[in-house]
Amino acid sequence: MASLISCPHCGARPKEEFTIKGAVLSRPAADAGHQAWTDYVYLRDNPRGTHREYWHHTSGCRRWLVVTRDTVSHEVGFCQDAAAAKLAEVRP
Amino acid sequence: MTSYRLATGGLVNRAAPLAFSFDGKPMAGLEGDTLASALLANGQMLVGRSFKYHRPRGILTAGASEPNALVTIGRRERTEPNTRATVQELYEGLEARSQNRWPSLDFDVGALNGLLSPFLGAGFYYKTFMWPAPLWEKLYEPFIRRAAGLGKATHEADPDSYEKSWAHCDLLVVGAGPAGLAAALTAGRAGARVILVDEGSMPGGSLLFDTAMIDGMTASDFAREASAELQSMPNVRLMTRTTAFGWYDGNVFGAVERVQKHACDPASHLPVERLWRIVAKQALLATGAEERPLVFGGNDRPGVMMASAMRAYLNRYGVAPGKATAIFTCNDSGYRLARDLEAAGIEVTAIVDSRPTAPPGYRGRPRVIANAVVCQTKGNKSVSAIEVLHDGRSETIAVDALAMAGGFSPIIHLACHRGSRPFWSEENAAFLAPQDLKDLRIAGAAAATVGIAACIQEGSAQAAAILSELGISCRPAALPNVEAEEESRPAKPLWSIPGIKGKAFVDFQNDVHLKDIGLAVREGYGHVELAKRYTTSGMATDQGKLSNVNAIGLLAEARGVSPAEIGTTTFRPFYTPVSFGALTGAHSGYHFQPVRKSPLHDWAAKNGAIFVETGLWYRSAWFPRGGEKTWRESVDREVVNVRQNVGLCDVSTLGKIEIFGADAAEFLNRVYCNAFLKLPVGKARYGLMLREDGFIYDDGTTSRLGEGHFFMTTTTAYAAGVMNHLEFCAQALWPELDVRLASATDQWAQMAIAGPKARLVLEKIVDDDISSAAFPFLAAKEVSLCGGKLHARFFRISFSGELAYELAVPAGYAESIADILMNAGAEHGLQPYGTEALGVLRIEKGHVTHSEINGTVIPDDLGFGKMVSATKADFIGKVMLEREGLKAADRLRLVGVRPLDPTASFKTGSHILEKNAAATLENDQGYVTSSAFSPHIGCTIGLALVKRGPERLGEEVVVWNGLKSEYAPAILCDPIFVDPTNERLHV
Amino acid sequence: MSDFRITLRPALGSAPRPGSRGLSITAMPEGHVVQVLGRPHAPDLFGVLERATGAAHRSVRAAGPGQWFIVGDAPLSRDEFAALSTALQPHATAVDQSHGRVRIRVEGTIVERMLAKGTAVDLDPGAFPVGTSAMTLLGHVSVHLTRIEIAAFEVMVLRGFAESLWEDLVRMSVEFA
Repeated sequence: MASLISCPHCGARPKEEFTIKGAVLSRPAADAGHQAWTDYVYLRDNPRGTHREYWHHTSGCRRWLVVTRDTVSHEVGFCQDAAAAKLAEVRP
Repeated sequence: MTSYRLATGGLVNRAAPLAFSFDGKPMAGLEGDTLASALLANGQMLVGRSFKYHRPRGILTAGASEPNALVTIGRRERTEPNTRATVQELYEGLEARSQNRWPSLDFDVGALNGLLSPFLGAGFYYKTFMWPAPLWEKLYEPFIRRAAGLGKATHEADPDSYEKSWAHCDLLVVGAGPAGLAAALTAGRAGARVILVDEGSMPGGSLLFDTAMIDGMTASDFAREASAELQSMPNVRLMTRTTAFGWYDGNVFGAVERVQKHACDPASHLPVERLWRIVAKQALLATGAEERPLVFGGNDRPGVMMASAMRAYLNRYGVAPGKATAIFTCNDSGYRLARDLEAAGIEVTAIVDSRPTAPPGYRGRPRVIANAVVCQTKGNKSVSAIEVLHDGRSETIAVDALAMAGGFSPIIHLACHRGSRPFWSEENAAFLAPQDLKDLRIAGAAAATVGIAACIQEGSAQAAAILSELGISCRPAALPNVEAEEESRPAKPLWSIPGIKGKAFVDFQNDVHLKDIGLAVREGYGHVELAKRYTTSGMATDQGKLSNVNAIGLLAEARGVSPAEIGTTTFRPFYTPVSFGALTGAHSGYHFQPVRKSPLHDWAAKNGAIFVETGLWYRSAWFPRGGEKTWRESVDREVVNVRQNVGLCDVSTLGKIEIFGADAAEFLNRVYCNAFLKLPVGKARYGLMLREDGFIYDDGTTSRLGEGHFFMTTTTAYAAGVMNHLEFCAQALWPELDVRLASATDQWAQMAIAGPKARLVLEKIVDDDISSAAFPFLAAKEVSLCGGKLHARFFRISFSGELAYELAVPAGYAESIADILMNAGAEHGLQPYGTEALGVLRIEKGHVTHSEINGTVIPDDLGFGKMVSATKADFIGKVMLEREGLKAADRLRLVGVRPLDPTASFKTGSHILEKNAAATLENDQGYVTSSAFSPHIGCTIGLALVKRGPERLGEEVVVWNGLKSEYAPAILCDPIFVDPTNERLHV
Repeated sequence: MSDFRITLRPALGSAPRPGSRGLSITAMPEGHVVQVLGRPHAPDLFGVLERATGAAHRSVRAAGPGQWFIVGDAPLSRDEFAALSTALQPHATAVDQSHGRVRIRVEGTIVERMLAKGTAVDLDPGAFPVGTSAMTLLGHVSVHLTRIEIAAFEVMVLRGFAESLWEDLVRMSVEFA
């Protein structure tokens, strides 16, 4: 019926406005080796509890977000712009 | 004796009679009646037959929890089965029919099931119909479904409209009884944005049938005044006939508003139901409490009713339950009813109280039999006597109605919808809502608070607490002065009753009786979730509103533990049934999804196009001309005309993306598998986009219009997906790149002008030099049209294999430019062509679409292996493309295929077999991805993905259509059927 | 060659739809819509945009981080667009979307109730004052919504969806007609 995602740019919006991509993973370097790439492309955790996912605000600001949510309680926690998250990761 | 309407009293409008019918029998009710109160007023106590045993059933409740009085109302396309008579408002002309009986309600053959009842106990489905297994689907299930059915839905289309809406508030109050009204008033007066919803037709809840005096007014007048004040506040929305049915993530509540379910002929400008999603900062449940039945023999006989329901019929609707009423109670609720019946002049034959003594303050005239129970009822289709056990002996008392009062269960469903469990309170003899819920509080009887004054006080206090959390200041309001009988705390619940004879029902709607519960425990299904499924208790459409707590109590007794240890089953939405219409809302039929139209839609329509839906788009498929009888005739003509003269095709639906920025070229270099860094300004290039797993995602041409400006086209189907993907790459993967994306699909109308005479036509309107020397194959630039009147984007690209251009003009000018082109092209034979001809032309040329790019192919499979850059450090899909399996020699790869017999044909999806090989999975060589009749070749041709395909050109194979058992001998060939040396492209 | 006459076909030929209770739905003039793409991580460009647009009849609408729409009722000439484009450099890129987006004006005292049938955005004037924009789903269609007056909204939509959205808006308003 409803779930609200707090887009950092638009405020709380229903999930229909979003597209979910899946777990936030760091894209390996091209020379990272076969195992790292197989993990990146195919291997997924199915966590109970906190989960970080890419959500796209497709029918809103069209920004990709990193949404932290709890798979048990459905609590939606921290929502961050994916570009900001990535840049913060690059220069800690 | 039967129920009847009293001469005075109630909130019904005696000046407004309403005619209705039940099973074809004309009856009369009053404005303000429910169907149930009107039936009772007409003495109709028998209203249905039970689910399994077809027992006669009457009206048990006066509200949403009704398990018995389910009827079919309306007629023809407005037939609505399983309507609870207790909540259906009466309207003039209402037609109601009883259910689950044949041939009639009074004489029902299915009642024989009662005789079979030893075989129909708990788990009988599992035991009786175990074998032979094949009979289950064909015999047992249809039989059970017919015998144990609810009402029948109509097969006609729903003529009514529905809609959905969002609403937002600081405080949502669910339930407009004493606590809810007080809360809404407190918050409303403080200026908060308040929504108050109530499932009833008028606000008030229990105030509508309570005899208390509040501030010198009757309780119902108090409710009316309070609602009038709420309605006068612009910050308050009071919604009646609205059931909050679910509590969802983000503190969103689902509610359904029955806008016109009380109307015989719904007005067309309004929906019949409206689904609300209410976003509440805070919510307060003031949903009241449900009275529990008592489990004794024949407790389902018509005439047996909940005590509070009897009070509601008496005080709100002016309907007497009978002439001689008995009351079976284990708490004070029965005495409130006795007092009201006495006041109305109705004889109370006996009050049977399971407690050792009557309440000390009780001074009524009726006989009180303390320390006693009703162990069974007697009667045929309604109760005629009860058997009372007291002091070790049994006494039969003649009655025509019996009220039962088994204590109250707070209505806490919504509070449990998000996973928290309720807990058993010994003190209150009830399950209470989970504690410390986020942004949700409970008040009033729903919080086990007893008495109107206390409920009002609590509603107000909870609202004040919520306001303070929201930072809204409010002054404490003066509480009204309530004159009501003092109410005592709940008594110990009475689960099992001694001396029961006959069936004692726990779940009325699913016909689960006491022995079923015992059986479940004995057979090892004593866990509450197992017992529920084994006995089906609580699994009917009423979801056990009356039965669940009794079932838990009985399970607890049978296992010798406290109900706390048993716990409840999971509460899930919906609280009451919600129609599919309301859930669908306005989006049905033509409006199921939006329609997306090309800027050339009207141009195509006026040129006679037949449209085809592709995703949301309506695309022109072909343009029939006079004399053409089949689509093939039109398509063949369009194809031939492009090969011989020139055609115009609307390709506006292709995705178009503007890419800007200092790093735009680097960005493209990473998202395409082929090189883009050095694409010169003014040039277009075919690009292949891979997924990270190495398989092809999409293709298209991208043109460089400036140093830091590219114009990408995508396929129609993947336009949205590619845009999302590019945004992901730009934002999440490489935010350090200066790249900016804008979707320009709708800005530009794009036309393909293809055929040997294309240049002759275009020269007439393009101002620039478009000779092959000045504008060679894969040139791309901005041009001016018609003497500088308009600027357009111009590309020399070809999907058909002919000399071809694509012209993009601002969408608003599309029709005008297409008209001009048609005019200018007339002398050269210019004709419009549609997506069908486009498909034939590209298959003839061996060009791929998503028929070939089907998620299983890598560039090399399609002959694009050399395009993949070997020098780029990285691009999406680079690493995974190197996997062993993707380099296997026997991969399915693109070839052409044509029948040996030119008059034969085959279908897309057919599989390729070696000559003389049996049609087995092991022998499968691949499959046809695209096929069409080629006017150029003169027979059916196809593209196919075949093991080691390109090495097998010239091999004779069989094309096998397993669905139709058709075998077409064929030959594998080069996928390019037309102009393999690309001479036509470059003329 | 130059005797060809090029004419503009508006996406919405429909006549304005007046309703009672002051509710009306009107196709706005297909003047100009310029999408502004700010350089990633550039500082807030609102000041730059105000200087670049200047004239009062134009309006700037926020459209997500680093993006704006500049809209107006009059078409922009090629020179005007080029000038605007230049004024935005090097901070932002201007993309002409004058034909790609269609604007519809929805106006009336109960306009928020009507739009609530489509969008989950809280349009209460307290939460969504005049000048606020939001990109959101209206029913099944993505739109850019701006409160242009206390009781009037501009709904901007992709051209291809304009007719469909128009039908939706009409349906949403029927109750109030």
